[in-house]
This record gives sequence, structure tokens and C-alpha cells, in this order.
Amino acid sequence: MIRGISYLTAALGYAGVLALGVSLAACVETAPPEMVEAIESLDRELLQLRAAEVAPDDYSAFARQWVTLRTRVAAEEDTIRWRWEPNELEQALRELQAEGAKTVARLSEQQETQRLAAARQIADVEARVHTIATQVSAINSRLILAEKPVETDLLLKQARAFYEQGRYDQSLQASDRASLHLAAESALLQRELGRYASPDRIAQWQRMVRETILWSKKHKASAIIVSKAERSLTLYRSGRKVLSYPVRLGFNGIKEKRYQGDGATPEGRYRVAGKRGRGQTQFYRALLLDYPNQEDRRRFLNERKKGRIPASRDIGGQIEIHGVDNELMAQTLGCVMLENPQMAVLFDRVDNGTPVTIVGALLEQNAVARALAHLSVHLDEI
Amino acid sequence: MKIRHLLVSIMGACLLMSGCAQPPADQINAADQAVKDAQQSGAATYVPDDYAKLEGLLSAMKTEVAEQDGKFALLRDYGKAEQLAATTKAEAERLKTEAAQKLEEAKFGATQAHHAAQASVTSTLELVAKAPVGKDRAALQTIKTDAEALKASLNDVQMMIDKGQYLGAETKAKAIQEKADAVSHEIETALAKIGKGKAMARKK
Repeated sequence: MIRGISYLTAALGYAGVLALGVSLAACVETAPPEMVEAIESLDRELLQLRAAEVAPDDYSAFARQWVTLRTRVAAEEDTIRWRWEPNELEQALRELQAEGAKTVARLSEQQETQRLAAARQIADVEARVHTIATQVSAINSRLILAEKPVETDLLLKQARAFYEQGRYDQSLQASDRASLHLAAESALLQRELGRYASPDRIAQWQRMVRETILWSKKHKASAIIVSKAERSLTLYRSGRKVLSYPVRLGFNGIKEKRYQGDGATPEGRYRVAGKRGRGQTQFYRALLLDYPNQEDRRRFLNERKKGRIPASRDIGGQIEIHGVDNELMAQTLGCVMLENPQMAVLFDRVDNGTPVTIVGALLEQNAVARALAHLSVHLDEI
Repeated sequence: MKIRHLLVSIMGACLLMSGCAQPPADQINAADQAVKDAQQSGAATYVPDDYAKLEGLLSAMKTEVAEQDGKFALLRDYGKAEQLAATTKAEAERLKTEAAQKLEEAKFGATQAHHAAQASVTSTLELVAKAPVGKDRAALQTIKTDAEALKASLNDVQMMIDKGQYLGAETKAKAIQEKADAVSHEIETALAKIGKGKAMARKK
């Protein structure tokens, strides 16, 4: 009897343990911890992707839902449900996890696309900056661009800095602006120097040169031709070329002279108005030209009247063909400068009244026209 | 008679209970105001992710209030809404402080970078005044133009700071400093090579 009771007790015990085991196996937490952890991880990824800044609406929707669900998770932390019971919270978490994963994937792809675009754009702008710098340097026209290259450089530096910070959208904005600056630089060069590529203007310069040479031939006298694009000075005697030297121009020499201090070398028909020998000039020897001539004055007054030249500006003067003072002062503000030995030769071969014709270019295929053509082709290509 | 008294007592108790279950208007308003304050202090800009979550909290609180409002008066319980309002308010105040701190940090960073750039540009301009003329006057004139352009760019940085665009201001200031240092280096190299040039006095 006693044995029967003890068997019965044991059987009941086993059944109880079994029932408890089955019950425990059938019970689940309302919010599976691994799911909560996965969403927290997605939130961290979205944070790294700067989702709140680059996709504020998407992140806001995710964050609102996550906060709401987290509140529910906290409220139901101690709740255990049967496995077969419907679990709305788990379903909502699952949907948020899927949505979050989709947002992470989309933003990651978007970020990579932007990164590549930003890197490509920086490389493009750098290539264009290099092209302009090379061509501008070749024709000594950097000053025409004034402050623009610095502004472009600053934008490029900002684009690089934003790129390194992972702010690809801002990097793209900066390099876009740099690109616009480059287009403005190119347009400015075309506007200021386009006459070097103008067949009409070159024909006019060629005519001026022919007439000067004819005058030299007719009067059996010396005449000087200076070409700014070729940076050359040629002496003619009785219509025949006697010598040709390379020259340096004013610091902004390639431009058309407009007023005093602009560093441009004038273009036109002049004459030697005075010879300055040793002790009369700081530049070894100098041939003073009769700039400004009548045509220069007319143009200057016309431009000033139209407001293109400030009223405070003067027309300038003291334009010379001169030598070099010393190594440190080898400079000119708008004149034509020769090395001293060459200046000595020239000085001895010309007289007061010798015609000096200064033109932009002698040939259609001149250095400036080539540089402009190169820029217009290559800046479009890049 | 006794039963009638009991029923009246129960109804009275119910009425009292339903009278107590009112939305926590003060706490809700305080939470709402705290979120607005956080937003005005720049939280959406300086702690955007936390601010998005704060808006989530505010939204959860309002949803909870609306849920309770929709229930039969006797079953309403605004305890959870009250708790959410308190959490929202506390979080909003934390973000307000953090945003203000980050704004100050950004402002400080931009101002520091501006000062550093100013120092570099001043140093460059001083060097330009001593720069040798050398063989190429155009080069000197270019350096002068560049230095002047850098000086003008400093004004842009100040304007950006005034507008509260601190990140952009700091990045631009650093770019200016880098460029100014490069120009200075160029002049120093020229000075080291050929010494100081003398001033030119002629006009053309």
C-alpha cells in the first residue's frame, strides 16, 4: 500500500516537472531581446550614416516608431506570453527592423554614390585648375584673373576637407562652386584676350606692321616692331629685318593698356620721343615713347566717360623700351624690357622719332590664341 | 433600503474616480514647451538624431493621451502619459543643454579657426611688403593679389560666423590659413634665395 502511494507520488512529481517543462518551453518573452538588440544596432548604423541630417524624414519616422516601441518593450518587460498567442509588439518590432534595414541599405548605397561623385568632382576640378594654370602661366596672364584663382583654390580646399569629414553632400556643393568659378575664369580670359584670336584684329595688327616696315623702306630709316604675344622686338632698317630680341612686358603686359598703373603695355603706333643714356635712367638705357598718343587719349576719355575707367584714374605715361636696372629690380610696370647688352645695341641704332609699332600678335596662330583654344577644348572635355 | 444606500455609495465612488482621471495637462504642456525650447536652442541641428527621438517621445506621449481620452471615463488611466511627459521634458532639457554646448563648441571652433587664419594672412601681408621684386614683377603682383584676396575672404568667414554657419566658417578659415601659409612659404623661399629687394618708385 505504502509502496503504491510512493509510486503514485513519484508519478505525480514527474508529471509536474514535465508539465512545468512543457509550459516553460511554450512561453516566450513579449519582445525578443535579440530583436531589440538588432534594432539598436540599426539605430547606431543610421547614426553613423548621419541619417538624421541626410534623410531627416526617414530617420524621424524610424526614431518615432522606435521610441514608441521601446516604451512598450519597457512596459511589457516582465510579461511572458504563450508561444501561440498573437504578439503585436513582436510583429511591430519585426516590421521596424525590416524597415530600418532597408533604410540603412539605401543610405549606405546613397552615401557611397555621393562619395564617388564627390571624389570624381574634386579630381575633375583639380584637372581643370591645372589646365587653366598651365595655359595662363604660358602666356603670363595670371593677373587678368585677379583674385579668382585664390577663391577657386579655397573652394577646392573646402571640398577636400568636407570629403575627408565624410560630408560628401557639402563636398559636392563646394566643388560645384569651384567649377563655376573656373568657368568664370575661362570666360574672363576669353573676354580679355579674345582679340588675340580675332582674325579681324590680327589683320589690323598685320596691316600696322606692314605699314611700319614700308615706312622704314621708304625713308631708309629704322623702325621697331614689338609683338606682345610673341614677346619679341624686331628692328627694321630700310624695310629689312636687322635684329630680333626677346622682351619682357609690363606685369600685366598682355592686356590692352587702359590707365596708369594697370601694368599693361600699350598697343599702337608710337615714336621714340627721347633717348635716355647712362645716368638719365635707372634702367641702364631707355627709349622713351610718345605714349599716350592721340588715339590713346581719345579711347581713354571715351572709356572714362562711359564709366569703364574710374574718374580718379589717369592715363599714365613714361612708357619706354629699356634695359634692366639690376637683378633685383628687373621689372617693368608697362614698358618693354630688354637684357642690357641687347638694349645697348638697340639704343645705338635708333634715333629720336624712330617709329615703334606695338601690336598684340603677328600671327593668327599666336601663343595667346593657342592657349585660349586649348582652354576652350580641354575645359569642355573634362 | 440598505441596498439602495450601497448602490448610491458605489455610484458616488465611481463618479469620484472618473473625476480624478483627467489628462495631465500641465505636464503635457511643460513637455511640449521643453521640446520647443530644445528645438530653438539648435537641437535639431546639433543633436539631430537625439532630437528625432525626442519628437518620437512627444508623439508617443500624445498618442497615449489620445488613447486614454478615447476610453470610457471609468477606465481612463493617464499614469503612463504622465510618465512619458516627465521623460519627454527631462530629455528635452538634456538636449537643450547639449545642443547649447555643441553650438558653443562649434562657435568656438569657427572663431579659433578665424583668428588663426587672420594671423596667417597678416603674416603673409607683412611678408608681401618685404617680398623681393625679383626678375618677375608679375609674380610679385600675383602674390599681392592673392594675399589681398585671402584678406577679403576673411570677411566671408566673419559673415558666416555671424549667420551661425560655424562648420562652413571653420572649414573656410582653415582653407584660408593653409593658402596663406603656402603664400608665405613661397615668399620666404624667395627671400632666402636672393635677400630683400628695394622698392620701385616709377609710375607707368
